Amino acid sequence: MPNCLVIEDDTETRDYLCSGLRAAGYAVQAETNGEAGNRRLQETRWDVVVLDRMLPGQVDGLGILEQMRARGDGTPVLILSALNSVDERVRGLRAGSDDYLTKPFVMSELLARVENLSRRNSWSREATALQVADLQLDVRTMRVTRQGTTINLQPREFRLLEYLMRHEGQIVTRTMLLEGVWEYHFDPQTNVIDVQISRLRSKIDKDFSPALIHTVRGAGYVLSAAPTYGPVTR
Amino acid sequence: MARSPDSSRPGLRGSIAFRLAVGYGVLLAASMATLSAIVYFGTVGVFEHSIDNKIMTVETHLADAWVRDGRTGLVREIDAQLHDLIDTDTEVVSLVDARGRILAGNMGRWYGDLPAAGELAFGQMERGGTPVSVRLIATRLEDGSRLIVGRDLIELDAIRSVVERALLVSGAVSILLAFFGAQIFRTRLEARIVRIRRTTARIAAGELSSRIVVMGNDEFARLGDDINRMLDRIEALMEGVRHVSNSIAHDLRTPLSRVRSRLDRALQASADPHALVADARLAIEDIDSVISLFDKLLQIAALESGVRAGTFEKLDLAAIAHDMTELYEAAAEEQGIALHFTGTPTTIRGDRDLLASALASLIDNAIKYGRNGGRVDVEVATVDGAPALTVRDYGQGVPPEDMDKITRRFYRVDQSRHLPGNGLGLSIVTAITQLHEGTLALRRLEPGFEASMVFPRA
Repeated sequence: MPNCLVIEDDTETRDYLCSGLRAAGYAVQAETNGEAGNRRLQETRWDVVVLDRMLPGQVDGLGILEQMRARGDGTPVLILSALNSVDERVRGLRAGSDDYLTKPFVMSELLARVENLSRRNSWSREATALQVADLQLDVRTMRVTRQGTTINLQPREFRLLEYLMRHEGQIVTRTMLLEGVWEYHFDPQTNVIDVQISRLRSKIDKDFSPALIHTVRGAGYVLSAAPTYGPVTR
Repeated sequence: MARSPDSSRPGLRGSIAFRLAVGYGVLLAASMATLSAIVYFGTVGVFEHSIDNKIMTVETHLADAWVRDGRTGLVREIDAQLHDLIDTDTEVVSLVDARGRILAGNMGRWYGDLPAAGELAFGQMERGGTPVSVRLIATRLEDGSRLIVGRDLIELDAIRSVVERALLVSGAVSILLAFFGAQIFRTRLEARIVRIRRTTARIAAGELSSRIVVMGNDEFARLGDDINRMLDRIEALMEGVRHVSNSIAHDLRTPLSRVRSRLDRALQASADPHALVADARLAIEDIDSVISLFDKLLQIAALESGVRAGTFEKLDLAAIAHDMTELYEAAAEEQGIALHFTGTPTTIRGDRDLLASALASLIDNAIKYGRNGGRVDVEVATVDGAPALTVRDYGQGVPPEDMDKITRRFYRVDQSRHLPGNGLGLSIVTAITQLHEGTLALRRLEPGFEASMVFPRA
């Protein structure tokens, strides 16, 4: 069971976070200020940290993060902040955070991102041959086959599938896909990502069974052979 | 309350016009003094020099006569010199014996000792009963007598006093001129400034449409122009704020009151659990749309304050356009629209994500409103050296009367009200373009609509 430290001063948000993360299967501990959070970080090893950007007291979220990184602590950190301008986001990422989510947030998006961070070490970016059920993808030859049949994909569809396969069983949100596959950071206004996914799905799933790409209502997508996948709370 | 511009006329020391005028006066007086010095030494100095020359010439001539013919020859030459009718009334030529008695010539009584032999000197001499100043040279001869050659300085003194008087008068006149000129200068300067200050006072008092009257093309006219341009911008921003507050009242109140009524209904004991869930879901959607609206307004505010320009880097506009075309291709095709991209690599300085989101917004609009056109073109080109990013659709376009309003926040063309959106897209695109120091050009096509982000020349 992965453990997760939540550092958040607002009671309501903290409770919401903790219950959401617990329901998703995390062992959760919570701290309400920077000093206590900092102590807790040094006592225990954490799989993932959810850190509020603005905290009361001497040390704020960015301060904690900078101290962590200065200590050589590489624990994945998700910054949660009401400051939502791109500037602030850049500052947060530069300070050493691995992801940045703005308040108010949707639990499913947070869970998807936390899961992405906590599982970071379980899959290797270097793997060049990926396989999910009977779907195979070779990064070097750009060849995709399912049940032995070659599937022709556009380069961008290939990268989309690669991203989904590298996050097998994890929910990926539309924003994560735009960031991970297209490498742009903005809010895609309409259903552009959905259309891209449905194209990919028609090539991967239409003539085969079982379906591998699943839509998670209100959250995003997950690629998985199993009929059930990671718990989702909305 | 705005102060009236006249009531706060600065003291003399505080007035820049006064300081400029005094500076101008001092400069004028100094140049007059320099000029006078040149004139004075140019006239009087030349006269003095020529007198010295004449004295030396006569002295040499007479000394020659002494060497050649002795005392008699010299006396004869002195007489000749005094009666040659040239400069006779100013010449002084005499032979004086060792004890100072005058043996020949026209020298009058000398005051004090004669000057030492062999050098030109000034002195005082009686002539015609009055003392005059003279310049002379005394040459000692072998027999102990002295040859005196000189000139009285009546003429030179007269010239000197004329020049001095002229310089004195012109100096006084020029100081007066400088003073009055400075006054005129100051008055005119202040009149121009007062006109600008009156306008700014009116604006400070709330009369935002007031503008400075610009005449000519001098510094003040240009300053006035700049201020007017600034006022136009302020007025537009104020108008925008007014419009936004009205729109917020509408666009935010509607979803919020819907949420409120749903929650109200959920509170009733008889509520059906399924309906409850559905209501909660709808309430979340409404709140999400309010949040996204807020995000957009904040984004526009942040963009307009220009804080992100620090993160600009060199990037290829065509690469971004290509990526966005590719991202939207499938979505366009679903609407029966073919999305085309043309362009060559074009470098500008900017923010990749902002440019991509602006372009995404334009493409999104083109797909949404250009539906019956069947085609949307995305083009990166250089127009007169200026990189431009253009999105063109061939749909029904925008009615002419709406053209200048569509970049306003929350403005929506009537016929598009049924489509999703909140009228902030083009405002964001405008803000992003302006952050990149570019302009957003919108054009009606027959049929269709074209939006062009034109950036400054690289």
